[in-house]
Amino acid sequence: MSKKEIDPRGPRFGAVITSILLLVDVYLAWDKATFPLAVSLLSVIVALFAIGALFGNSKHPYGYLYKRLIRPLLQAPKELEDSRPPQFAQFVGLLVAGAGLVFGFLGADYALGLIIAVSAAFFAAFLNAAFNFCLGCQIWLGLARAGVIKP
Amino acid sequence: MWRGVTPNLVVMPFDSKLIAVVGLLALATVAGIIWKVTTGRAKRVKTGEQIDLKEIGATKNGVPVTKFGEHTTFLQFSSETCSTCKQTAKLFEQLEKTSHGVLHIDVDLTHRLDLADKFGILQTPTTLVLDSKGIVKSRIGGAPKPSTIEEEIGHFVI
Repeated sequence: MSKKEIDPRGPRFGAVITSILLLVDVYLAWDKATFPLAVSLLSVIVALFAIGALFGNSKHPYGYLYKRLIRPLLQAPKELEDSRPPQFAQFVGLLVAGAGLVFGFLGADYALGLIIAVSAAFFAAFLNAAFNFCLGCQIWLGLARAGVIKP
Repeated sequence: MWRGVTPNLVVMPFDSKLIAVVGLLALATVAGIIWKVTTGRAKRVKTGEQIDLKEIGATKNGVPVTKFGEHTTFLQFSSETCSTCKQTAKLFEQLEKTSHGVLHIDVDLTHRLDLADKFGILQTPTTLVLDSKGIVKSRIGGAPKPSTIEEEIGHFVI
């Protein structure tokens, strides 16, 4: 991950959309009839997480939306933020939602696995959107100390 | 139609999917409020541990730090993936300018996991509040609340 300076409100705007989509996905996954729809929606969400994890917020469709639609309505940001923390959060989102998608591909019998994974992803995205919760602050160090990720 | 619906009156007004989704939203909101209230609070440390400035590789503007603040030193541990750390550092730097005898040191743990192990740090920012001799007096997990910082200075600055 290379360091860039970004408007901190961009990733939070993205987190708002992400948390709504994840919540809708849980709703759809609850019913067998709409489960395939939940899997399709989750595929899109996972693809979006992958873009965020690999290329960062500025190349993400939500980042683009923010720049085009929201940013012009706001004042200049008080301060810029490192691009790495939100990119790490996208990476974690990719892993968790990706695990949910695997359950989705296994079929409606594994709906609970999908629901748990998507709910976990929703938790992080919602806390980020509503409370400025930063996943990289909370779990990066623990994972690095455990040897799960390399600095 | 009506006959078919009535036996389920208890369940019918809300379907289970909606309850699950609203429940999830409520749970996340409660978790967020609890996190917001509890994070950034100071906990007293009574181990009497003294910080070795050389060991932690403390630098300020590229220059090694050799002396503690006259009254209080805020030793902040950060990481690269931590967005709140920068905001916290700004807060302390401001404080340094306005309060006499206060020193702020920021140590990036990204490539110093040995220090994270030594001090048992799991989240960033984590701030150790030191007295004039570098002895750890309290520990703040998460972004410190302004009121927490004021209290901490009140303890050590006369």
